[in-house]
Order: sequence, then structure tokens, then C-alpha cells
Amino acid sequence: MAEEKQEFWRWTESNWKNPDIIWKDAKFVTVGIDVGSVSSQAVIMADGKILAYGNMRTGSDSPNSARNALKFALDALGDMSEERMDYCIGTGYGRVNVPFADRSVTEIACHARGANFLYGPEVRTVLDVGGQDIKAIQCDKKGKVTNFLMNDKCAAGTGRGMEVFSDLLGIPIQEVGDRSYEFKGEEPPAVSSTCVVYAKSEATSLLRKGWTKEEVLAAYCKAMADRIYSLVERIGVKPEFAVTGGMAKNRGVMDRIMPKIGIERMKTEWDTQIAGAAGAALFGYTLCQKGKGRVKG
Amino acid sequence: MAVEKFQEWYENRHAYQTDWKKRTGSKIVGFFCTYTPEEIYYAFDILPVRILGSHEIQDVTEPHLFAMFCPFCRDVLAQGLKGRYDYLDGITIAQSCIHLRQAYTSWEIHKNPGWSHYLPMPNHVQSPRAVPFLVGEYEILIKRLEDLTGRKITDSDLNKGIEIMNKVRRVMKDIYEFRKQDNPPITGLESMYMTCSQFFTDAREWLPVAEEVKKELETRKLERDPGKRLLIVGSENDDIEFIRMVETLGERESVGATIVVEEHCTTTRYFWDEVEEGLDDPLTAIADRYVSRTPCPSKDWPQRTRLQRILKFAKDFNADGAIVIQQKFCDPHETDIPFIRKFLEENDVPTYFLEFDVTTAVGPFAIRVEAFLETLDQEDDLF
Repeated sequence: MAEEKQEFWRWTESNWKNPDIIWKDAKFVTVGIDVGSVSSQAVIMADGKILAYGNMRTGSDSPNSARNALKFALDALGDMSEERMDYCIGTGYGRVNVPFADRSVTEIACHARGANFLYGPEVRTVLDVGGQDIKAIQCDKKGKVTNFLMNDKCAAGTGRGMEVFSDLLGIPIQEVGDRSYEFKGEEPPAVSSTCVVYAKSEATSLLRKGWTKEEVLAAYCKAMADRIYSLVERIGVKPEFAVTGGMAKNRGVMDRIMPKIGIERMKTEWDTQIAGAAGAALFGYTLCQKGKGRVKG
Repeated sequence: MAVEKFQEWYENRHAYQTDWKKRTGSKIVGFFCTYTPEEIYYAFDILPVRILGSHEIQDVTEPHLFAMFCPFCRDVLAQGLKGRYDYLDGITIAQSCIHLRQAYTSWEIHKNPGWSHYLPMPNHVQSPRAVPFLVGEYEILIKRLEDLTGRKITDSDLNKGIEIMNKVRRVMKDIYEFRKQDNPPITGLESMYMTCSQFFTDAREWLPVAEEVKKELETRKLERDPGKRLLIVGSENDDIEFIRMVETLGERESVGATIVVEEHCTTTRYFWDEVEEGLDDPLTAIADRYVSRTPCPSKDWPQRTRLQRILKFAKDFNADGAIVIQQKFCDPHETDIPFIRKFLEENDVPTYFLEFDVTTAVGPFAIRVEAFLETLDQEDDLF
């Protein structure tokens, strides 16, 4: 029998309920579902306020991932049925495959709107580092996209790469940020490639040379920071600057990007992974307010 | 519908051309760039056909082209190396860029095309010496074509060639007029099939079909929401998959689009300008047309003359936005693109940039185009 291998990359799935909102009083309940390449989120809103959310890994098919994420959010809430939804918007990589969605909107529009909500209307530049893509978005005070760029052809520097690295080095993904600063002396130079395949072989050879895991992690985080920054640099940073997606939680990468950008990034208490789904739920709320919601029998 | 004929020709170019040769007993010369004076070939009753790629992954061009040469020149050369054009009687190129010229030269060296001719089309088209220089080069070309065909031509033959090509240009422009309508009766995809099928067929056989299409369009109504109106600007482009993806987005997503006009060498840069007819010296008239036509950016210097023309297209066809594309590594376009985007943006035409390759990354491109379309929504019900 093969020994069961620990999955260091596996981040904690979570769901949450807002204890301060009594949803039964809500005029409109709207749902945003963000089926990403690596993670899926469902955000349930009551009149534009977050009521509950679920955040989990994306499975092998989009409709099921959407269903599971919604179920996870509903589980947190406990006493709401799916039928209560007044509108649902699908977004993300699997946006057209959300079976119960009334409409789809791109994750680019949703992340900008979501960042506007999670961080406040001052945000003008949003960096979303997701599972397999990076988006640099500029938006106005309403959270409407004015310009955007995405990584092209290659997913280097994204969340999935970091998962592979955490597994390779045997460091749980949540600890990657802090551990990447646990080296002695000067910070090691960046690995020469952010390509996951090349970086893995480079890391292996660095470990053989006697580098500590933390030093290798520092070198990889730095390379990822360089790669992500190159996209931000191309679009330009207008303050305020906010980060969404899973990578926002990784200070190993983020604290290495921010000095290059030269301003502070905005802070939020919210889970940064829910930005896309939150934006989608908000769009649904706006549509309901305009009388464009679901027609119920 | 006559309009479907264009797609049939586009998809069956080799069958058409081999059949044409059998039927007419005449010669076919493949050309690599739209600076080739097709008028002169028609004067000799030679069929000039443009060689475009097939948008398939291939591995035969690696030994021939540098890695940083564009996917288009690679795809074109692949057609030759794979023997798909073995029925040609010759090949020719008029100088535009070094990438395509390398593809031509490799083909010439390795495929033994029989007859081949490099036409040194001047790059400095803004020089007053460009036209006389080109006339001199045309005289050499005519001698080479006399060798190929064993016949001589007169001014009347040249005028015949001019007439054929001008008719093609006029009918294309007439059909483009329909694309200005609020709900164009012809899609960007059909239009792309139209302009490209003309490269592959005898203009004299293509023209009656185009005339019929023109008539059909007067009453044709398309049962589709046109969505946002887009202009596409940039490198060579016959990327049917991309055009189709853009124009069918509306069937799957909340936003859709129609391509209403393009500025490519497969479309307007190729056909928009006519040769002046009725002049005493047809060769000079032809040279004048190729020197003063909408230039490829490889020739658009020191003045950048394309900008105003692109803006006029955007305005005349009422474009909501422009997609600016570049074949990867296409240096002349890469140099122009920052200026084009800045100029269009300053004139209230939003732009988005995409880099094309041999095949289309349909998924990643779809999300970008869709997000771009969302930004064009002025009366956005989401806000």
C-alpha cells in the first residue's frame, strides 16, 4: 500500500454567514457564482450586502462546481432555499456553465465591481491573481472597467504555480508567505524562470546545492512578484490599488510586489477570493432594482 | 445564396485552382504580398493567386525561419513545403517585410517553383522617385513574364488588367457600403470570405458572384442582434476562427458584436484604392496606385499616413471600438500599434490589443473580447 501523501497545496475551503443580517426582511436576494479554473465561490447578497458565501476548489466540471459552491454558501446560512434567489449571475472561466444563472458577466467586470465593494469606491487599479490567470484592471469610482490586461498564453506567476511549489517543498500553502521570509542573511535572487516546470527543476537543483526550503521559496516568490509586476507596470497604477484573488493572501509574493509599485495596497477584512462572485451578486442586485430581475410565478 | 460561394472558394482554394488550370490551360502564379501588381498578370492571362496559410500547427518550417519570425510567414511557407501548391507555375513577392521575403526565398530554394520573381517594391513610397523606380521594375517583370508565357503584351492588355482589378475593387467597396447599416446584412465573417476568396479565384469568375451578392444584400435581413460594432486593424488577418468567435459571442454571452470594417492587407488595405483609368501610360498608372495605396506599415514612413484613414473607417462605419491585432513578432505593425491606439483613443474610439498566432486561442481571446465589449456599453444596466 502506498503511503497516503499529504497535500500541502490544499488550501482551506470555507463558508461564512453574516450574523447581522436577517435575510427574510430583504427585498432582493441575489447570488454571484464565480467558477474559476482552480477555485469556485458563491456569494449570496441581501439587498446588496453579503449574507453568506462559500469558497471551495473547482471540480472537474463547471455545473457541479457551481452547484457545490452555492450549496456550501446555503449550508452556512442554514435556512434558505435556492428558490429564494431573485437573480443569479455566473462569472469566471465556467461562467456560461452555471446551470441556474440568469446571465453571465466576465470575471474582469466582476472583479472590478467586487473590489469596489470589498475595498471601497476609491480603488482605481485592481490586480487579480487567480488560479490560472492574472488580470490588471483599471476602473472608475463605480467599479466599471475602463481598461484591462491579462497574462497571455502562459499561466506562470499564478496561483496554481504556487500550489505546485508548496507541494514540491512540502510547505502548507497557508504558510508559504511567512516561510518565504525565514532565511538568514540576504534575500536570495529570484529563480530565473517562473514557468512552473522549469522552476521546479531549478528548485530541485538549488535544494541539492544546499539551499534551505525557505530560501528556495523566497527565490520563487520573488520571481512570481517580478512576473506579476510586469503586467501591472504595462497598464500603470492609478491609486488606490487593491488586490483580489487567492494570491492577495500570500505576503511572500505581495510584500515583494508592493515596493515596486511604490504605494500601499488597500486593506480589507473580506476574503479576497470572493471578489468576483461579490461583483456578480452586486450586478444582480442592480438589475433587480431596475426591475430586470427574475419573474417569479 | 450567392454569398455562400465565397466560403466554398475559401475552403476549396486548391480544388478551384487546379480545376481552373485544367479548364483554361493557362498559368498560375502564387504571390506572397498584396504589393504584387495583379493587373500585369491579368494582362498576360496569368492567374495571380495569393498564398495564405492554413492555420494548422505544423513543424516543417523550423529549419527555414528564425524563431522570432511571424506566424503568418511560417504558415505560408508551410503550404509550399507540404506540397500543397505544387501545381503553381511560379511564385512571386513584392517586397514588404523581411519575414515574408525569407518565406519566399526558402520556398524558391527548396521547392523549385519553376518560375520565380522578386519584385523590389520600394519601401520609401513617400519618395518622388518611387513611381519611376517601380515602373522600371515593372518593365523587368514584364520581360520575365514574357519568358514564362512566350507572348508579348500591349497597353491594351494592361488596360484590360486594370479594368478587371478595378471592377473587383469597386464591387467590394459597394458591398462594404452595406456594412454601414445599423444591422448589416453581411457579417464580418462573410465579408472576410469575400475578400479572401478573391485572392484564390479568377477575378472574372469571382465578379459575377460578387455582383449577385450585391443584389442579394439589398433585400437581405439577418436574424441576429448586431451588438457592438467593431473595427479590426492590424497585420495580415484571415483568421476565420477569431472572426467567427467574435460574431457568435452574442449567442452565448450577454454581449455580442459584429465586425463592420477592417484595415488589413486581406481587406481594405488590399482593395480600397483603384488604378486611374484612361491614362496614356498604364504602367505608370499601375505604379502610381501601388505607391499611393493604403500602405503596409513597413512602408508608412516618414509620415504615418494610415492614421487618418483608419479613423475615417471608424467614423464612416460607426464603430463602437477597435480591436488592434498583430501577428506575433510582426515588427512593422508592432511599431505602429502604440501610435494607432493612442490616436484612436484620442478620437474617442476605444481600442483593445490582441496578439495573433497560427492558431487562435479561442477561449482566452473570447474572455478578453467580451470584457472589452462590456466596457463599450454606454448605457450599462449593470451600474
